[in-house]
Amino acid sequence: MFLTRSEYDRGVNTFSPEGRLFQVEYAIEAIKLGSTTVGIRTPTGVVLGVEKRVQSPLLEASSIEKIMEIDTHLGCAMSGLTADARTMVDHARVTSQNHAFTYDERIKVESVTQAVCDLALRFGESVHDEDAMMSRPFGVALLIAGIDELGPQLYHTDPSGTFVRYDAKAIGSGSEAAQSELQDKWHKQMTIPEAQKQVLRVLKQVMEEKLDQHNVQLAQVTVDKGFEILDEKTLKEIIDDM
Amino acid sequence: MPDMSVLAGPQQHQFNPYAENGGTILAIAGADFTVVAGDTRQSEGYSIQTRYAPKVFRLTDRAVLAVNGFAADGNMFVKKVKQRLEWYRHAHAKDMPLRAIARLIQTMLYAQRFFPYYVYNILGGIEEDGSGAVYSFDPVGSYEREACRAAGAAQSLVQPFLDNQIYFKNQTAAPGQSHPTHLPLSDVLSIVIDSFTSATERHIEVGDGLEIYIVLAKGRSLQGVEGLRGLREMSSREDGERVFVLQRELKKD
Repeated sequence: MFLTRSEYDRGVNTFSPEGRLFQVEYAIEAIKLGSTTVGIRTPTGVVLGVEKRVQSPLLEASSIEKIMEIDTHLGCAMSGLTADARTMVDHARVTSQNHAFTYDERIKVESVTQAVCDLALRFGESVHDEDAMMSRPFGVALLIAGIDELGPQLYHTDPSGTFVRYDAKAIGSGSEAAQSELQDKWHKQMTIPEAQKQVLRVLKQVMEEKLDQHNVQLAQVTVDKGFEILDEKTLKEIIDDM
Repeated sequence: MPDMSVLAGPQQHQFNPYAENGGTILAIAGADFTVVAGDTRQSEGYSIQTRYAPKVFRLTDRAVLAVNGFAADGNMFVKKVKQRLEWYRHAHAKDMPLRAIARLIQTMLYAQRFFPYYVYNILGGIEEDGSGAVYSFDPVGSYEREACRAAGAAQSLVQPFLDNQIYFKNQTAAPGQSHPTHLPLSDVLSIVIDSFTSATERHIEVGDGLEIYIVLAKGRSLQGVEGLRGLREMSSREDGERVFVLQRELKKD
């Protein structure tokens, strides 16, 4: 494997003879090391869930931030190198605010996703002598959830800058098992409470530790209340109710 | 020896980048339609530059923009708004809603805060909820939504007439009755035509031709309009909002 890749996996902007960009492919691999992240779309909103890996009993679980607000009607969950996601979320927030400022309306979910993906291929972009702003591809995948005039939507983005819309999607280390579970269980008329429980059940299946309100996080974007991260008390009630 | 005394004092020269090209525009919103009109004379001082320079432009199937003031700035401004609408369509896969266009016009005008477009804009069309709407702007982007507005050379002649006929100012309703909030299309068209014929009589910069744009909400029938002579459809589709233009002559003296 590495014999064939030895020459073309260094430069971030060099195609291999087979027409591949290895650095981008490696970046996609990096996501598979990240913690599992799940998203489910329903007719009334989108639910996001992440596993927080609490590696030490001394670690403050509440300081792990893997779900972030983009705007009142948009949120995102991440898997992979979460530090990279800060750059992307920051860009998404600015794009969303600029849209509201210029057009007096909420930006569409697809538009903000497109804006984030426009960033993804900026690596290795520099005129001679100038320093490149980004040296490598982002090592993170996002699930972007939101509501606009087309209803609730869930988008998946990866380091190649590709984005696809899903009814339900899992990313990260447990994504394969999680995705097939979602495929079995997802149905068109899911309610928000059903989706919340389904997200938790999928996470529970793929997590090594016992799932509790400290090592998972849930967020949702609903027609009524927009984006919200569920607090530990609410989360515990849902877990107890499972 | 020629008299050099006139050259003794300091001489000042100034370049004025602006001109005032006359003309008048006006817009009235109905319950499910909007009418936007403007005359077509373009003048500078006592000379007429052209008898046909449109001041009203179709932006989308539900938005029409009227621009009055310095014609060169107005034409450039409309060109830039249309460009922004095309970019928006490509980026967001839909036509820009009317209130978004209104806000866009504000940001575009205010971006030129220290070298303004010397124009007064009136935007008319149909909102997302299907109601008729008029937005009026000052040259640096201050704007508000109204039921009617006149601007330009004959604003001071037309606006009081509109206040009286549309807002029923200085009119008292018969006992037990109230004034309507919206007038039917045929009444609005009569008011628009009367406004311009009167303005043409009393203002030297108004006349030659009249262009009246009519924007109809989705599903609203043409009722009362279809028979009008010189009516032309401008919309790209028949199942959405529709735009028509009505051309009339005004006195040329």
